[in-house]
Amino acid sequence: MSSTDTYSSRSPLGAHAPRQQRTGSTLPFSDERHLLAYQWLVDETYLLDAQDYQAWLGLLSDDIHYLMPVRVTTALGAGFDVAPGMAHFDEDKYSLSRRVARFATEHAWTEDPPSRMRHHLSNVRTFATEDPDHLVVDSAVLLFRNRGDVRESALISAGREDLLRRTADGWRLARRTILVDESVLRMQNLAIFL
Amino acid sequence: MPDQSAVLDDVRRGMIPAHIYNDAEVFALERERLFSRSWLFVAHESEIPQPGDYAVRRVLDDSFIVARDEQGEVRVMFNMCLHRGMQVCRAELGNASHFRCPYHGWSYRNDGRLVGLPFHQDAYGGEAGFRRKGQTLLPAPALDSYNGLIFINLDAQAPPLRDYLGDFTFYLDYYTKQSESGIELRGPQRWRIKANWKIGAENFAGDMYHTPQTHTSVVEIGLFREPKAAKRKDGATYWAGAGGGTTYKLPPGTVDERLAYVGYPFEMVERMKQMWSPEQLRVVGEDGFMISAASVFPNLSFVHNWPRVADSDDVLPFISIRQWQPISENETEVLSWFAVDAEAPEQFKKLSYKAYLMCFGSTGMFEQDDVENWVSLTSTAAGSMARRLRLNSRMGLLDDDTEVTPALPPEQFAGPGVARTGYSEANQRELLRRWADHLEQPAGDGAVAR
Ligand code: FES
Ligand SMILES: [Fe+2]
Repeated sequence: MSSTDTYSSRSPLGAHAPRQQRTGSTLPFSDERHLLAYQWLVDETYLLDAQDYQAWLGLLSDDIHYLMPVRVTTALGAGFDVAPGMAHFDEDKYSLSRRVARFATEHAWTEDPPSRMRHHLSNVRTFATEDPDHLVVDSAVLLFRNRGDVRESALISAGREDLLRRTADGWRLARRTILVDESVLRMQNLAIFL
Repeated sequence: MPDQSAVLDDVRRGMIPAHIYNDAEVFALERERLFSRSWLFVAHESEIPQPGDYAVRRVLDDSFIVARDEQGEVRVMFNMCLHRGMQVCRAELGNASHFRCPYHGWSYRNDGRLVGLPFHQDAYGGEAGFRRKGQTLLPAPALDSYNGLIFINLDAQAPPLRDYLGDFTFYLDYYTKQSESGIELRGPQRWRIKANWKIGAENFAGDMYHTPQTHTSVVEIGLFREPKAAKRKDGATYWAGAGGGTTYKLPPGTVDERLAYVGYPFEMVERMKQMWSPEQLRVVGEDGFMISAASVFPNLSFVHNWPRVADSDDVLPFISIRQWQPISENETEVLSWFAVDAEAPEQFKKLSYKAYLMCFGSTGMFEQDDVENWVSLTSTAAGSMARRLRLNSRMGLLDDDTEVTPALPPEQFAGPGVARTGYSEANQRELLRRWADHLEQPAGDGAVAR
């Protein structure tokens, strides 16, 4: 069972999200499906580093659910590790498109001048689903972000579970769950994507 | 501690020495003289609805457990074991009948009473050596609530919360009492910004002037129709009791039409009309003002906006409550909650939550640009030149202190306190005047000086 998909199904805005789940164990690293998924993720990090969000938006399915829950510290055995009913991102294509459109205005001050960013991607593994047109991909991402010349740099570390879908135009991201590794973020805002 | 009276005098005439936004000595004074005797928000009752529910919250460096005990009563207890000082609760939230200290195993009921002490007889000779009875985790010196908002005060002699809030409760009700059941909170999102805590509090209290500039982009993308410069100055700012805030002027209409204009469905409007006083309804229905941002001194803020959440002309209101929790003179933890009327329809709650996420909080498109400004301001305030610069916070005043725009008469604004339309920094001055009054007063008997 996918441990992260439950976040999407429990989220207040996740009703529309595709529900395909992983099956079996990790695909061999030589498997063509894994190579495809891995390359898709690597290419995506370059778009995010370059803040080419218009191109990035084009890689998202129309029914995407893009979710980043708020992590909380709970006792072992509490049975939950995210703030109930709250997230940093709980997005559909419309709300993501507004965020991207805002960056394209000349007045999104928080990214003018832009941050220098590097999305470090690792720990990629791929799973088949019951549907040959869908793959589930786990990955780790470490975002390094630096602004200006006097500010300290900021880091965000997170695990992600993605659902990739094969379409006539190529693979598209249909669901992403981002499990950030901090309950209190050490970054001034999330004017970024993970 | 150097004499700060020149600084406080400047602040009182609206010329703000820039270094107060990044000065370790000023922060030490704020600790000793301001946070030691102000009512500080810790949680809302809806965050701990069931017996045993708890949340751990801080006031500066002090950790408190905010818990609902088995009798349903809200307790706020210093999160430090009576024995050797270990934190008895290291989670942020959960449900527990007892807290057991991990160090030597003393255990406390969720009302704070010490109930378990391993080897009590062998180690202490039983009650003769250590009287267990009557021992509790240290309670917050003072505890009080309004509309479910739980506040504590580190000064046991503090006046009651109601007296402290004063007439600001009139405005607080718009955010927190839209039905008999009041609001429910979700979150908070928590993140740290390299900004002084006062900046956010001032901004939310009255900075209408920044909206058309800082938030141009959210209007351009069709998220929010209101902040256009001309519209913003038609709104009123008000100060009453311990807080002040901003409003938008609504198009002509009845109270029903105006609440519908910002996106409240009929059934919610009906409940508001039952909950709010004739004067509270008049501010909306006749005077035509709708609450937006507000701050309660010192570090609690509110916001109410009504953006578009889908590709249609419909707008939907949301409420956020946020606290600017100081970490140091140049760092603040922001705690940002989404709040919604508990009796609102489920679909409304969902879309209001979506509106919140798009606008405020860690990812909010308004908040992103605000924080960038505040971080930049704070870092620039650290140096020696900032000690020579007095920031002009006199908007709305002529040289001789007469007001550019007179206060609104009661016929035009039915709420308590002082209200005026047009751009002004009267509310920011009012907030910092209170700040100066606190910093001037040595810590009293009730508050513990550091
Ligand atoms: S410190 Fe808590 S039991 Fe000893
Ligand atoms: Fe703002």
